[in-house]
Amino acid sequence: MLKRLDFCVVPVLLFGVLPAPVVAAPDFENEVAPILEQNCLSCHNSDDRKGNLVLSSKAEAFSFESGIVPGNPSSSLLINVVSGPDPEMPQKADSLSEEQVAVLRDWITAGAEWPEGRVLTDNPMRDLNWWSLLPIPEANSTGLSVRLNPVDAFIEAELREKGLRPVPEADAETLIRRVTYDLTGLPPTPEEVARFLDSKDWSVTVDRLLGSPAFGEKFAQHWLDVARYAETHGYDKDKPRNQAWPYRDYVIASFNEDKSFTRFVQEQVAGDVLFPGDPDGVRALGFLAAGPWDFIGHWEVGEGKLDGRIAKHLDRDEMVAAVFNAFQSTTVQCAQCHHHKFDPVRMEDYYRLHAVFAAVDRANRVYEGLPPAQQRRKNEVTSQINNLKREQASLTSDINRRVAAKASGIDRRLAELRERYGTGTELMPQYGYHSQISERPDTEKWVQIDIGKARAATEVRLMPAFDNYNNIGAGFGFPVRYRVEASNDANFENGARLLFDGSQEDQINPRKQTVRIGGDGRAFRYLRITATKLVERKQDYIFAIGEVEILNEGASENYALGAVVDAKDSIESGTRWARANLVDGIYFREVDNPEAAGEIADLEEQRRAIEQSFRTPKTKKRLAEISKLLTPLEAEQKKFPSGQLVYAAATHFPRGGRFMATEGKPRPIHLLHRGDVGSNGDRMFPGVPPLWNGVEPAFFEGDDSWDEGQARAELARYLTRQDNPLLWRSIANRIWQWVFGAPLVGTPNDFGRGGMEPSHPELLDFLAASLRDDPNQSIKSLVRLLVSSEAYRRSSKHQEDNAAIDDNNVYLWRANRRRLTAEEVRDSILASSGALDRRMGGPSFQDFIIEKPQHSPHYQYHLHDPNDHNSHRRSIYRFVVRSQPQPMLTTLDCADPSMSVPQRDESTTALQALTQWNHRFIEAMSLRMGERLQKEMTGSASEKIDGACRLVIGRDPSEKERAILLEHLEEHGEASLSRLLFNMNAFVYVD
Amino acid sequence: MSINLPANRRQFLGALGSSFGGLAMTDLLARDGMLSSSLHHAPKAKRVVQLFMAGAASHVDTFDYKPLLKKKDGDPWDPGETVELFQSKPGACFASPWEFRPYGQRGKMMSDIVAPLGDVVDDIAFVHNVEGKTGVHSQGTLLQTTGFNFPGFPSAGSWVSYALGSENENLPGFVVLPDHRGLASNGAKNWANAFLPADHQGTVIRPGNAEPIADLFPPKSGFINASNDQAGLDALGRLNAIHAMARPGDDRLAARVRSYELAAAMQLSATDALDVSREPEYIKNMYGLAPEGPGVNDAGIINEKAESEFFGRKCLVARRLLERGVRFVQVWSGNDNGFPRRNWDSHGDVKRDHAPLALGMSRGAAALIKDLKQRGLLEDTIILWTTEFGRMPCSQGSTGRDHNPFVFTNWLCGGGIKGGTYGESDEWGFKPLDRAHPTHVYDIHATLMHQLGIDHERLTVRNNGIDRRLTDVHGRVIEEMLA
Repeated sequence: MLKRLDFCVVPVLLFGVLPAPVVAAPDFENEVAPILEQNCLSCHNSDDRKGNLVLSSKAEAFSFESGIVPGNPSSSLLINVVSGPDPEMPQKADSLSEEQVAVLRDWITAGAEWPEGRVLTDNPMRDLNWWSLLPIPEANSTGLSVRLNPVDAFIEAELREKGLRPVPEADAETLIRRVTYDLTGLPPTPEEVARFLDSKDWSVTVDRLLGSPAFGEKFAQHWLDVARYAETHGYDKDKPRNQAWPYRDYVIASFNEDKSFTRFVQEQVAGDVLFPGDPDGVRALGFLAAGPWDFIGHWEVGEGKLDGRIAKHLDRDEMVAAVFNAFQSTTVQCAQCHHHKFDPVRMEDYYRLHAVFAAVDRANRVYEGLPPAQQRRKNEVTSQINNLKREQASLTSDINRRVAAKASGIDRRLAELRERYGTGTELMPQYGYHSQISERPDTEKWVQIDIGKARAATEVRLMPAFDNYNNIGAGFGFPVRYRVEASNDANFENGARLLFDGSQEDQINPRKQTVRIGGDGRAFRYLRITATKLVERKQDYIFAIGEVEILNEGASENYALGAVVDAKDSIESGTRWARANLVDGIYFREVDNPEAAGEIADLEEQRRAIEQSFRTPKTKKRLAEISKLLTPLEAEQKKFPSGQLVYAAATHFPRGGRFMATEGKPRPIHLLHRGDVGSNGDRMFPGVPPLWNGVEPAFFEGDDSWDEGQARAELARYLTRQDNPLLWRSIANRIWQWVFGAPLVGTPNDFGRGGMEPSHPELLDFLAASLRDDPNQSIKSLVRLLVSSEAYRRSSKHQEDNAAIDDNNVYLWRANRRRLTAEEVRDSILASSGALDRRMGGPSFQDFIIEKPQHSPHYQYHLHDPNDHNSHRRSIYRFVVRSQPQPMLTTLDCADPSMSVPQRDESTTALQALTQWNHRFIEAMSLRMGERLQKEMTGSASEKIDGACRLVIGRDPSEKERAILLEHLEEHGEASLSRLLFNMNAFVYVD
Repeated sequence: MSINLPANRRQFLGALGSSFGGLAMTDLLARDGMLSSSLHHAPKAKRVVQLFMAGAASHVDTFDYKPLLKKKDGDPWDPGETVELFQSKPGACFASPWEFRPYGQRGKMMSDIVAPLGDVVDDIAFVHNVEGKTGVHSQGTLLQTTGFNFPGFPSAGSWVSYALGSENENLPGFVVLPDHRGLASNGAKNWANAFLPADHQGTVIRPGNAEPIADLFPPKSGFINASNDQAGLDALGRLNAIHAMARPGDDRLAARVRSYELAAAMQLSATDALDVSREPEYIKNMYGLAPEGPGVNDAGIINEKAESEFFGRKCLVARRLLERGVRFVQVWSGNDNGFPRRNWDSHGDVKRDHAPLALGMSRGAAALIKDLKQRGLLEDTIILWTTEFGRMPCSQGSTGRDHNPFVFTNWLCGGGIKGGTYGESDEWGFKPLDRAHPTHVYDIHATLMHQLGIDHERLTVRNNGIDRRLTDVHGRVIEEMLA
């Protein structure tokens, strides 16, 4: 190991004492540099500087003491560490060949010539000579025993070679329970067991199970684990994704319809481009968006700041890694900071993939109910609106800039006042009055105050609301046009007096400014504010005001305080918005000091005058034009059917906070040195890692204005190529694992040199090729092939002689006993107790109560009623929360959706025992099961025990088991018996 | 509490255990860690308590004295470079609202709101030049808890539990005491085991709660009572033993039998560990427990009494867990950013929020240090005080401070750590004084692991193709800090 200078003590091996013969100097460029670049520079470069040895440039290489001693290879540490029987270097790769060592030795002997200015870089060889990167041969069963299922032929060959003798077939009761769980995740009903014991017809049973909708539900769970699917964002302020579920339903339906695997893959990467008009093409894109998303980094910080760009970079990395881990079993993400240490993936390859996803974000998009032509028009309209708004903003900011120049004195004083007297940004939550949401701006809305009796007033003050929704902040909801009237008639039909008319033209939003309206000094009882043009919020329109005060000169009393408030309509939501909040004395105050407030008001008035003076007729005209153009466009936008939404990869969506859609325009992507967002390298364009021969790494050579959809389509085509050696092996390995409980390659997400090698390489290739070359590319056919094998139907019984050779059952001399997954435990308990609701699809059930949804939602599982029948659906329909995962299922080893989980853990802990024994769900379902036993099983106690066991463990109890259960039933009743059954090993394990 | 006593069950399972003869059933439930019998070097410490200040505690208002801020208070702040802040534009220089005074033999300057730590300051190693990666809470918090600023990696506590196992098989190896008012950024991800075995996830304990550990006891039930609960466990043990004996060669089955016995033992051990009622009064006072207990008034404006009770009780429970053999305890001060504010994210008003939080924290932390010391436990227990990042020397509004990921403070104490200051921030408390050599979380973690007898570069687990470790590809043991 090269570590600082302490490796000087490495014993020097001298291979001879004769003077070195004169040798021809090897050519540096063609012979020496490639060896160093491919084997040394990944650590000994000027960034990593491992052991302080840097081989990038001549100066650095020769500055290391005794590293390279020209003319004397024996004294050169470079030679010593790479030669000998057990070379120290390279540390994490194969040793150099004798020829390579000889080249280096000869080069040093000849004087170690290093051309001036030649800088070496890490340049690993693309070594494709690795099992998973070699072509998959066509499926060939010739030579295999015709007597056997091809699966068994491969297995048997290995067993024979290892001297293993397979155990016999399992009994029928075991088989029906095993295959029912493996293919549907549910227990067989007592009737299904009886029918199979009677007929013993395996293929009929298998076909029945493959045809059951529960098959898709079970296999979808496997895929969703890999796809890191959840329904909240994760990170800080873990917001729910209420439209994530259509992707989950897509996966279930795809398995049930037995969709061709190519189509399944292509849809999840570029379905919108490759299959336009097909809802599945969009729903499937939920895959790309399924992982965590940093709401704060995108929404509150935004890409204008470094932190926001870091968040976006991590977000793209997450997407890139998801695609390659799930479909290719390749860990491309390792090439973020340096070339992949083991696999032929270079940094360029990795950043090309970033470019593929440079235009997409995670957001809701329409998958159905909006035909493609309308969707296109909607995108156009949205785009036009965005452009007009951008121009509007630019004109205004242009004015603002000029105003700022003129008003700099005013601004300085304002800043001083705010600095000294400011209250900060924290708000009391009682914001004010908020109308119902309207779809149109011209809906009239009013709010009015009844001060109890007619009183004379000289001033009315309107304090705009302050709510940081969408970063609107000050002036939130303040009407664009409005009028203020006073009357003594509550209906404003007789004798209403107009105090202020701002309904003839658009008003500038007063933002933090109090609007003061002079009264006429006459008495009135009712004050009404009528909004005649509502302010736009986000695709809709509202009216809100923070506070209203009614004052009379000379009197300090505010008549409105605590008065009765009425309105055409209002939102009464929690503490924030309520009619009463309009007159509660609580409103956003910029400063606390009244004198400072007065001065600020005056200064702002002066500032507004300056602003007016800069609004030239030309800009005024253009602003009016824009406003006129916007009205019909926005009206048109409203007319599009809203359609059904899925949370997916998206390029068009409404702006939220600082989170803006790219509208399909890719962000520029650069190679980042050491993965550092501040260290841009070359500009990168879309492409893929050439992981097998015949792949062109760049998609659009020489074209720097590519179409983002085409880039994703190219990626989808690359993934599903017939000659892709990884995709077919990856899915074949997963299907095997999902059926047999253990994969053929122990690292299902990593087929690289860091992962494991297949236990049965020919079998894996046979399965991979069978799926690839099947015209239907049917997953169900593959599953049918596997469960029809003798290997699948073996007993799980232990056998000493075999265990001595193959304790872990790598060669499948028996079946793998497995524990039920967390979801299977829950679903089975629901099924046995009769509570299971088999409704499929749709929004997820929530087995928690959300508290404080407006900020950081608290997902409170302990407040949920386990008897709530809405939650008695299969666990695949559960609303999966990232920050606060479901406690019971988590303890039972369900997947952590922060990452792709190819294999579940199977831990056995005391906390599991506590959960399964004491959880409120178990208690509730035990009670329910107890009632079922009382109602449906009216025979003897012994018959009741048998019936209960058939429901829970799929068989009759043994004599010994029956005796224990009977004793418990007679003493403690049906519910306690059920709790016992739900904890039995016989329930939890599948033989 | 006296239900579920496993007296006869224990005997029964004991007998059952012998009937399993050669089965290594304890293997699956073994509480030994990966390195229990093969530590990389002799350890100085055996256990860790991590105190986490959620929301980002201000270093310049607590432990990192910056006289220049007082001198320039109210002047425009110009550090000579562009400053991009998380939420605001840089305001004026903002002196700490509190006085700083010298403490201990070295005269370490600390502010009045952390004065209670003055008594033990000589044992504390301050690191004032810790540098983060971003000013986003979730990322900053994950970085400090897991060593990575995105999710998917095991908590430091999970790594320690994985490496060292538990000293008490009846208690979890890694315990988390969250703020009962809500979980900080990332929620349970801050104590997730990620790709390590599930046994190493942080177990949440809520001291003072009616049900401090989820499912430790049966729910209030119409049908579960002490008698059928006990009888059920007895019958279950017999049934599962029959099942296991019919299926030799599968250790998991016997392990699951044993897991129920351990669960029963945990009911007793945890109940005992969490019962602070018999602690002497002077101890309760030292930790700042309120006479009215966990129900102390926390309504309205944030108050010192409640913060002392909440944090102090967690520190006291932490001590009881540590002395019973728990490896790693994570204690949280502060919840999510709800309203009214109950964490250290003082954008609006440092004075209002930091005073009660810091006084409560420092009283509890000081008590924990003293208490461990008087029991002889401080010498092999490391206390690590941390937060996701620091706060700016300039003001936000006029009374708040925005995020400062460029420099902040950590401190360590006990477990062979030498008191003193290791690493300074610049005159503003804006960036490290020596910008080329800041301290990173990797260095803190490497030092922690080193004291536990672990070489942080050698404790690795392969996941998705990469040999993962707590310190990623970084980390330097801060040798100067070691006694």
